[in-house]
Amino acid sequence: MKETIYEVFARNNRGDPLAHIGYVDAFDDETAKIHALTTYDEQSWFEMCVVPRAAIIPVDDGEGLFAQLRRASVAREAAR
Amino acid sequence: MTLDPKNLGPEDRTALIRLVLTLADSKRLMGIRYSDWLLGAPSVETGIATSSMAQDEWGHARLLYAMLKELDVDPEPIEHDRQASEYASVAALDEEAPDWAALVAMMALADAAIATVLGSFAEGAFETARSRVPKMLAEERFHASLAAAWFRRLAASEGEARPLLERAVERMLPGLLAWAGADDESARRLVDAGVIASADERLTVFRDGVRDLLAEIDVDVDAVEPDADWDVERGRTGGQPAEEAVARARGDLNRALFVE
Repeated sequence: MKETIYEVFARNNRGDPLAHIGYVDAFDDETAKIHALTTYDEQSWFEMCVVPRAAIIPVDDGEGLFAQLRRASVAREAAR
Repeated sequence: MTLDPKNLGPEDRTALIRLVLTLADSKRLMGIRYSDWLLGAPSVETGIATSSMAQDEWGHARLLYAMLKELDVDPEPIEHDRQASEYASVAALDEEAPDWAALVAMMALADAAIATVLGSFAEGAFETARSRVPKMLAEERFHASLAAAWFRRLAASEGEARPLLERAVERMLPGLLAWAGADDESARRLVDAGVIASADERLTVFRDGVRDLLAEIDVDVDAVEPDADWDVERGRTGGQPAEEAVARARGDLNRALFVE
């Protein structure tokens, strides 16, 4: 079954920065929310969000995590 | 109306004990059935979610067994000394899910049936249930969401998953309808005492909750008859959970380590 990678972001307390804490595989938004909730349950987050990795657009082409992931994804698509 | 357990007559007390036991045993077995699939789930994330659900179910079981104290029943031997033939858990959980589709059916139907009866219990006259059960039901919400997502996915699949799901539903649905809509003398006593809703109301809630999902595999829940093989003493359909599962539920391997 084809799954999508969702990046997981969370903040500890109101006012804290929303931090990238990991990712989950899921086949839709609903299961992504559940997988994030149960996988990253080491603390009681103030807020948690999931974003499909494909929806994240790096604003430069540098060495940042999502820029690298985007390049790898484009390379995989091109190789198919 | 609030019911004081001290004022219950012996028959009503026995009926309430039976209800708490069938709910607690079902929760414990539900947890075991989830735990059977911690390492066999289709993805790491699903396995982690299954683990989380197993923990939820065992926590709920512990809270429900503890309610027996208010009915002058010691939960200790209830939890650790009974034989499989004494378990009142819903029959759909008697055996390990043979495949992931069967676990999804358990998640979507058995967990929903238990939540239906618990929901009715939470709105009834037994104050302890009114105060403790709503948190359980809140924790159950993601179980239902995950179940629905998986059920729809397997129902729409073109491989062997859909037939496996159909067979699992066919196996467990009649027993779950009988259990959620229990209407024997013991159940009617609790309805009269305001502890749970009527059998018709419980069945309506259960059927409404699973109708759309079951339609995805062309099952009309309103056309399925409840199982007629009813065990009045335990408040479930016939049979019993597998001995191996009950040994785990009792904690047989850890007896020397029990802490009071």
